[in-house]
Amino acid sequence: MALIAIIDDDPDIIEASKLVLKSHGFDIITASNPDDGYKIVMEKNPDLIILDVMMDEPDDGFFLAQKFRKNNVKTPILMYTSVSKTTGYDFGQSDMVPVDDFVEKPISPEELIEKVNKLLNKN
Amino acid sequence: MEELKENKAKELIKESTPKVLIVDDEKGLRLGTQRLLEMEGYYVETAENGTEGIEKGTNNDFDLAVIDLKMPDIDGLQVLAEIKNARPNTVCLIATAYASYDTAIESTRLGAYGYIPKPFTPDELLYNLQKAYTQRVLMLESEQLKKEREANLLELANERSRLSTIINLIGDGVLVINKQGEVVYRNNAVFKNLNIVEAKNNIELLSKLPDKIIDLIDNYLGSDELIKKSYSTQIEIIHNELFVEAVTSPVPNPDGTLAGVAVVIRNITELKKIELIKNQFVSMVAHELKTPVAAVLGFLKIIIDKNLNISDQQRDDFVSRSILRLRSLLDLVNDLLDISRMELKTKQREIVTLDIKEIIKSTVELLEIEAQKRSISFNIVMENYVPVIKADQNEITRLFTNILSNAVKYNKEEGSINIITGSNENYLIVKVIDTGIGLKDDDKEKLFQEFYRVKNEHTRGISGTGLGLTIVKQIVDSYHGKIEVESQYGKGTTFTIYLPINNNN
Repeated sequence: MALIAIIDDDPDIIEASKLVLKSHGFDIITASNPDDGYKIVMEKNPDLIILDVMMDEPDDGFFLAQKFRKNNVKTPILMYTSVSKTTGYDFGQSDMVPVDDFVEKPISPEELIEKVNKLLNKN
Repeated sequence: MEELKENKAKELIKESTPKVLIVDDEKGLRLGTQRLLEMEGYYVETAENGTEGIEKGTNNDFDLAVIDLKMPDIDGLQVLAEIKNARPNTVCLIATAYASYDTAIESTRLGAYGYIPKPFTPDELLYNLQKAYTQRVLMLESEQLKKEREANLLELANERSRLSTIINLIGDGVLVINKQGEVVYRNNAVFKNLNIVEAKNNIELLSKLPDKIIDLIDNYLGSDELIKKSYSTQIEIIHNELFVEAVTSPVPNPDGTLAGVAVVIRNITELKKIELIKNQFVSMVAHELKTPVAAVLGFLKIIIDKNLNISDQQRDDFVSRSILRLRSLLDLVNDLLDISRMELKTKQREIVTLDIKEIIKSTVELLEIEAQKRSISFNIVMENYVPVIKADQNEITRLFTNILSNAVKYNKEEGSINIITGSNENYLIVKVIDTGIGLKDDDKEKLFQEFYRVKNEHTRGISGTGLGLTIVKQIVDSYHGKIEVESQYGKGTTFTIYLPINNNN
């Protein structure tokens, strides 16, 4: 079964996401900051990365995504976003934001599973 | 009708006592005329020859003069000329026994008002003098009007230069374009606000105006009917550095057609910067509010989802974690309200004399239970004399609650908190020294920023809104005090709070 890495600084979000994904049979590894996140991805080479956009700093998620791509990690990335609509930021795929899809918080379990499956089947 | 006029003139003369000069070499006529006129209410002076007539007539401002044409020394016409030259408003009558067409023309040319043939009857003289005096009054009135008009013109000229000075002094750019699309007026601020370094003339200035302003002006000039509305547009002149707002208004002619367009160009850079800060703050608040909501919603969806089939124990865990998140959300909302109230200064302050010792003691008592759970001890050292301060009790209590609860939260197991109270001439000084996790230099700088929370392996699991120290700083600042922070990462942090003594707030 596929291995998914969740990187988010909110332990409750990790917990909820983990439970939903596990119930669909995925294996989960987690990290609560960008450094640990980078480490577990390099060590365990997951099939998918779920990454929160805002961690300690507003753009931590973007920087980590860029770091993965720079270091040739081609694993699909699903990004959790939070206030994109409020700030008028419109996220889209680009070199600046090298991710494959977005999930807007609060997360709906169905949407999460659907997007995860889609990204995993692409490869 | 004629009689009415005459009566009126008679009254006028009695009221105003006109000054008359009689110039005649015939003594009898002089004295007789003088007596007659004085009885009628005139003030009379006489001159017995031309020389005396010129002297008196030019040195005094007579209302009227009756000049004899033939005198032994100087001709009456010369006397007339000299008096009219010096006193143009003295109304002169020529009296003569040798009335001729030529002298009549000549005397009129020299400014005589009328001609009295000699010998004349008292009535003839009085009638002529009344008419002459009416003329004198009219002349004086017109002179007065002329003076007033000149004064007004001067005033107007001053007003114009004053107005132009004022327009040049204001910070807003003012630009006036006529119907032909030419610049007819611009003040200095136009150059500054549009960052135009040089324009040799108004044509060059026009070519350097931003397109958005030209478009607005063309709107008016290109329309067949007068557009009565004003339009405004915001223009970024220098990226992130200079923003202006341009407002265009029509300048109508009195007949309602378009005379031109006035443009006012205001620098709104500061406003834009505030707007940016506000937007950043709003998005930060939105993020902080949304984060706990997202977490709670996540848990609730799991609990309600039958497919997930969680255990009772898991469900209870999720519910209690949701409660924690909602509680901290409530704290956050309360902190936000405090901050906004303090910034709006709508918070009712009750300034009283405060004993800081009491406030610190009661705050410590409140935190003692939390501290004991992790074996953290408080140690209070107070000078015998601690000056009283005048402040709002709730605010000062809030200040120390936030500082001291941080000292507990970010302390280590079996750590300690030392509170030392002292004073110098100007300030009451409270030091709060903890043996906690300490701060890195980076964190120290950002400590008082809204929502800033130190995040590292030691702070995980410590809850907070990120607004506690922001509120502390606001309170301290509002009393013109100061707060200093020293820290050694891993060893502990010391906050020093200075509150002014004798402040009058």
